[in-house]
Amino acid sequence: MAAAIETKKLTKTYKSRALGLINVVEDLDLYVEEGEIFGFLGPNGAGKTTTIKMLLGIIYPTSGEGYVLGNEIGDMDIHRVISYLPERPYYYEHMTGLELLQFYDSLFGNKDKAKCQRLLERVNLAADASKTIAQYSKGMQQRVGLAQSLLNDPKLLFLDEPTGGLDPIAHREIRDLILNFRDEGRSVFISSHELSEVELICDRVAIINHGKIWQQGKLSELLKGARVEVVADNLTREFSDTVKIDGATVSFADGRLIVDVAEDESNINALIDGIRSAKGTMVSVIPRRKRLEDLFVETIRGARPATPAATVEAEVKS
Amino acid sequence: MRAIMAIAATTVGEAIRRKVLLIILLIGVLFLAVAPGLNTLSTQSETTVLKGMVLGIVQLTSAVIAIVLTVYMIPNEIERRTIYTIVSKPVQRWQFLIGKYLGAVGALGIMMLLMSLVMEITFFLQFQSGFKAEDALDLLRAPAMFFVQMSLLAAVAICFSTFVTPLVNFFLSGGLYLIGSLFAPFFDSLNQNSSTPMFAKLTARFVGVVLPNFSIYNVQNPIINPGQTIQNPTTYYMQVTGYGVLYIGLLLVLGIVILDRREV
Repeated sequence: MAAAIETKKLTKTYKSRALGLINVVEDLDLYVEEGEIFGFLGPNGAGKTTTIKMLLGIIYPTSGEGYVLGNEIGDMDIHRVISYLPERPYYYEHMTGLELLQFYDSLFGNKDKAKCQRLLERVNLAADASKTIAQYSKGMQQRVGLAQSLLNDPKLLFLDEPTGGLDPIAHREIRDLILNFRDEGRSVFISSHELSEVELICDRVAIINHGKIWQQGKLSELLKGARVEVVADNLTREFSDTVKIDGATVSFADGRLIVDVAEDESNINALIDGIRSAKGTMVSVIPRRKRLEDLFVETIRGARPATPAATVEAEVKS
Repeated sequence: MRAIMAIAATTVGEAIRRKVLLIILLIGVLFLAVAPGLNTLSTQSETTVLKGMVLGIVQLTSAVIAIVLTVYMIPNEIERRTIYTIVSKPVQRWQFLIGKYLGAVGALGIMMLLMSLVMEITFFLQFQSGFKAEDALDLLRAPAMFFVQMSLLAAVAICFSTFVTPLVNFFLSGGLYLIGSLFAPFFDSLNQNSSTPMFAKLTARFVGVVLPNFSIYNVQNPIINPGQTIQNPTTYYMQVTGYGVLYIGLLLVLGIVILDRREV
């Protein structure tokens, strides 16, 4: 598979009055394959938007290399085959949905009303094409945003928090659209906090914190470290205090013990033996796939603390 | 070119809907409409005073509109993230800035045209048969020159808007407009006076060259320039328009260079 995005030691350094030189993004090695949905995850201020802006050529890297669809970042030719939907952008409210698409289409030097209408149909806004953006709900604005991002039939889409602040119905609509993009052979780069959403649609993910990548790979591989939930009855609360397994989560409610433990045969056997010898009744032993949220929390907790990128960027801009 | 025109057209559409600008325009138009009622002088002085008052209202209102319109233009686009949806397309930053500027000038033109229309109607209603077609045309020269002046002011403000906050820009552009309007003749006389010390002369010359001279566009205001006559009006208007266009060009180039290097 060819690379849709590839970066080598991409770094962005800001000069902060209070903190001196700060690496908002540091030695970033990112690899996104063509035709996949890639999730770019991280807490606020981790450096996600800074990375996207560098990839789009909106801001300039301090050092390192980056390639988008084989072209070096900053090359204007890429802009004909990529598109970007920022997090909750403002669209000119006096325009109708159709006029807005025609405006963005003219930025490519085109004037194709039929195409704009088709795209509005695609995002289920055909009936609202003549309404002004001011009359659109958040979900409708996000859908018109997705429509504008398809005007140039892009090979690669950058979506920054595409479902942020939307209701569950709008979530689902946007999710379905993104899945359709992949089916059409497009690459999608999603920056998001919505981990359940990302888990549902992404092929690969990277977790960034304090400007560094801490995890990167196929979701199926990253979530491999499975866990097992052991449930037992007829035990006393004191028994739960005797469970000493590294990384285990023990809870006790209404005489029922629930232990969430990493998949390790010896640990699980020891736990079951302990339950039996305490005259407890085994209820269930359920293997559980690690969730992306677990991986995310583990990764972020393990990452070293530093000044969040957003704070530095805001300070530098001020 | 299509991208620039699309950005300009969108900017005009947005600007003429901005409530704050419409309120300023409405106040200006109201003052223009009631101006004859404020004039209590003799018939002979009436025309001169009314002309001065009306042109003053058009100029002041246009200046406030020009500054308010442009100081927020670039910062708002960045703040609201609209710029990202534009510069992530095959649109260079210079195209974006030129488009925004042309849009600002377009919106300014529409608003000044409206004020000029009200001004003409006011004069027609005041003097009726005494107000001839040539008077109407003659009166329009001043707003035409003001338009060049305001386009220059808009270029100053849009250039500043690429690197300063809107509030700072408001005072900076406003201050520069006042200095360029009121003190340019003073710098000129300092420069030409043989008794002026060399340092003051050089400073006056430097300031006179670097700062935009807004005063050259006030030719028809009979209160500001009493008794001023221009030997060859056509040449003069062409020269001052050329000066304005050149200065606007330089300011836009400076703005482009700054915006291009700026991390947005």
